Amino acid sequence: MHIETGFSQAMEHHLFRAMFEERKRVFVDLLRWNVPVVAGRYEVDQFDDDRAIYIVITGDDGDHRASARLLPTTHDHILGTIFPNLCKEAPPRGAAILEITRFCLARKLRARERLEVRNQLVTALVEYALGNHIRSYTGVAEWPWFQQILSFGWHCLPLGLPATDQGRCLVALQIDIDGSTREQLRASGVFRPVGVADLASAA
Amino acid sequence: MSDLMAEITKAMGFRHYALVHHVDLKPAARSVHIIDYPPDWVDRFQARRLYASDPIHRASHRTNVGFAWSAVQSIISLTAADRSILAEAYEAGLGDGFTVPAHIPGELNGSCSFAMAAGEMLDHRQLPLVQLVGSFAFEAARKISRIHEPEVQCPSLTERQAECVALVARGKTDWEIGQILGIGQETVIQHVKDARDRYGVTRRTLLAIRALFDGQISFADVFGR
Repeated sequence: MHIETGFSQAMEHHLFRAMFEERKRVFVDLLRWNVPVVAGRYEVDQFDDDRAIYIVITGDDGDHRASARLLPTTHDHILGTIFPNLCKEAPPRGAAILEITRFCLARKLRARERLEVRNQLVTALVEYALGNHIRSYTGVAEWPWFQQILSFGWHCLPLGLPATDQGRCLVALQIDIDGSTREQLRASGVFRPVGVADLASAA
Repeated sequence: MSDLMAEITKAMGFRHYALVHHVDLKPAARSVHIIDYPPDWVDRFQARRLYASDPIHRASHRTNVGFAWSAVQSIISLTAADRSILAEAYEAGLGDGFTVPAHIPGELNGSCSFAMAAGEMLDHRQLPLVQLVGSFAFEAARKISRIHEPEVQCPSLTERQAECVALVARGKTDWEIGQILGIGQETVIQHVKDARDRYGVTRRTLLAIRALFDGQISFADVFGR
């Protein structure tokens, strides 16, 4: 996995620019989300700032295959800013809590590659949390995706009842990560060994 | 698990529940089937093999979110046979209910349902809660079946076999597949035969369907995107 912090740093690397391009293909072209597009090719919103953390999974040839954006919950983030109503109580915030957003799988992947790469990205998120003193992730998911997230076997709980927003059924969730999470992913067959790669070698 | 299901069913004010995978390709393998419906209805359901044609199951394959049975015609159009199945269930004591579909890539379709007794009112405001409970119930059942059943390895196709099978699903002949992939017709025949052997099926149609079902190929591979 490749990790970069901050939008402007990320835009300096071909790999992360490819991520913003793929985000446009997935979230704008495919899922028809109403989110901004920059320069006609990059999906970039107000949360892509210098605090955003990007995690990218690459293929053997070093191309972008999957990615996610992590937002600190101590500042503006999607659950806290746009969907606080999805939480029964106040949205969880704290230095040890990050929000997972823009979980993105490259559209060119075939069905079984998608599952494989999805598993790599899920494991990468767990490894990132374990290595960086992150105890919980939060997030907003559409219902079908929430069912997948549950099936990964990790400790995942809803933060409120599912609600329908512009025709989509959304739910807020929290995933707690600790020493047993790897084992939980292994039991569900999701765990994949992933290491942190050096960007220079991927360039 | 059935005790917990019975408890939460009662706590939410329902009379009956069913937590099931819809088809049983590999009977011993990780299939979930926990039901508390009126026994009379369960017997009829099994005897007439209704699990394939049950309108509620069919509707649950067309949506990702939970729905009330009384609203099923907003999801699929009901035939006369469907209406008589629903009427029979009612006669057997099964009233209105909710069904929460459980669709996970690489897994059998399933659903979790909660129902009232015939003649009792369903509180439609409960749907969001039922949806959450249903999904968690399914995940719990999944975890338990993992403990009791050893992991079943689905057959895996090589990259080339998967490409050939996707083209088979598109209705291409071996010669056409060879032309498209730039390989010989004999090679294509061998790839397709090897793929059939891995699944233990003799027909091309069944091969394509099994590969789709397992996620070795996707609808996008078949229909383009």
